[in-house]
Amino acid sequence: MEARPWLRTMKARALVRLWSIFGERLWIVVSMGFPVLTSLALSLLYYSIGATGYIGFAILGGVMVSFWGNVLWSMASQFNWDKQEGLFEIYLTSPGSLSAILIGMSIGGIIGTVPSAIAVILIGWVLFHPVVAASWGAVALAFGLTLASLYSMGMTLSSLYLTYGREAESINNVLQDPVSMLSGIYFPSIGAGSPFPIALQAAASLIPLTIGMEALRGALFSAQSVASIWPELAVLAAMAVIFLFVSRAALDTLERMGRRDGTIAVRIR
Amino acid sequence: MTARDDVTVEARDLRREFKTKGAPAMALEGISFKVKRGEIFGVLGPNGAGKTTTIRILSTLLLPTSGSAAVMGFDVEREPEKVRHVINMASGAEKAGYDFISAKRNLWFFSQLYGIESREAEKRIDDLAERLGLTKYLDRKFYALSTGYRQRATIARAFINEPRVVFLDEPTIGLDVMTARSIREFLEDEARKKDRTIMLATHNMAEVDAICDRVAIIDRGKIIAEGTPDELKRSMGVPALVMEVTPPAKGFEFLGQVAGVRGFTSTSDEERGLSTVQVVVQDDAAARRAEEAMSGSGHRIVASWRKETTLEEVFVGLVGQGFKEREEQGDGS
Repeated sequence: MEARPWLRTMKARALVRLWSIFGERLWIVVSMGFPVLTSLALSLLYYSIGATGYIGFAILGGVMVSFWGNVLWSMASQFNWDKQEGLFEIYLTSPGSLSAILIGMSIGGIIGTVPSAIAVILIGWVLFHPVVAASWGAVALAFGLTLASLYSMGMTLSSLYLTYGREAESINNVLQDPVSMLSGIYFPSIGAGSPFPIALQAAASLIPLTIGMEALRGALFSAQSVASIWPELAVLAAMAVIFLFVSRAALDTLERMGRRDGTIAVRIR
Repeated sequence: MTARDDVTVEARDLRREFKTKGAPAMALEGISFKVKRGEIFGVLGPNGAGKTTTIRILSTLLLPTSGSAAVMGFDVEREPEKVRHVINMASGAEKAGYDFISAKRNLWFFSQLYGIESREAEKRIDDLAERLGLTKYLDRKFYALSTGYRQRATIARAFINEPRVVFLDEPTIGLDVMTARSIREFLEDEARKKDRTIMLATHNMAEVDAICDRVAIIDRGKIIAEGTPDELKRSMGVPALVMEVTPPAKGFEFLGQVAGVRGFTSTSDEERGLSTVQVVVQDDAAARRAEEAMSGSGHRIVASWRKETTLEEVFVGLVGQGFKEREEQGDGS
């Protein structure tokens, strides 16, 4: 596909996402609720037991859980929802690229999640004044690569959801809490401070969020430079690229199989 | 332009089999047809006849099990990307829009899938909306549109990229008479003035009669007749016989044994205590024999008359049953 139509498709899908999110004010408030309240609850807990050094982790966790939730609930299930609504057929019969649509959804999702992330930072900052010792360049790089790898994973999940439909949604429900805990959103789950055995730490390392949180904590609270956290950054970049290719390949395969078996055009009712 | 160039859609011995838990189901059993530029071509048949399967193959959503098809000269199996640049499709059953954004933004979004420049897209949206009576509702969120206006938006979407060929699957299903009529007028306008080919899969015979230049009647995956609506109706010969009889009954199978009777369909009205039986006959003598057989079966003929042949009678004449009876048998694809 030519570059201009591809970019138009991507931009349009990002805008649809943003119009949908910001078109409903109540939804903005509701989407802020979970990360803000969870982050506050944990900050309060750390504060009450005197673990003030962990309060920053809880606030950072609240920021990242907004994006994580967006990946799990909006990105992953979007194509499946589109299929149920008949929109996927329209995508397929148009020259629009499915990858452009997914990347547009990611960009829209990221921008749409920013208000929730800002709310967590502002409220956490005002109430708890966490101690920050940041290497801002490393923070920015770690944050960008974490989002890239997370949303690339979301694109892959989207293809899987499209294949497995509601079964995938149920598996998502079952795995959400264990995965959130393993990925160390609110406390270090790999490395020296981890409460988990090595095997679990190894499993946790396969989740981009785990690596991203580790890099972000290092850069934001221990002033670790890019040179110090480069292994994490390299893994995140590799994950972003790998997931991107996997999602592309999965979509191609899915389309081929769907056209052959007659499943892609059948709405789930 | 050569005669060959004039053909925009061509299906050659198209077959499609679906795997089921039991024996494989044959949705299409070798259909072939050609549709010309600027033509409204109807694919008429009862539910499960294979209409949607045909549309899905031609619009690149489904592969044929065997046979081939081409749209604007591009093979749907080998060149789906090229086909997608010149087609669009819409279904009457689809909701097809993002609920929380306006109809206008939805249409703009779909235009972007074709890489249309925004200013041009807006011009097209305004034009389509005006012609479909949608202008006042363009800024309403999609979920707030009534079924009729949502369907108008769906039709607008199907024409947003100015496709050379448009595939429509039951585009007026469930719509009120006025909305259905305005959509039909729009479709005729697009075909006549803009030379677009429209392929219309439907079980609405009146719709086919009203706007289609040619029609293929499909039953159980096979094309059983093809031609203009007038040609098909003329092929049935004399007008059909309609009888209102009492007491109402379900089965009038004895009519099938009457010489010269091509088929029949019946409906019962318990409140009025009547059955209405439509009999497609070969000639006037067969009509008389059918009336005699009815009287001899213990039913009283309350009224009888001859009716101008419609496509429904054509189907009954070809298959021996109406759409309803065919669907009730439920062994189509």
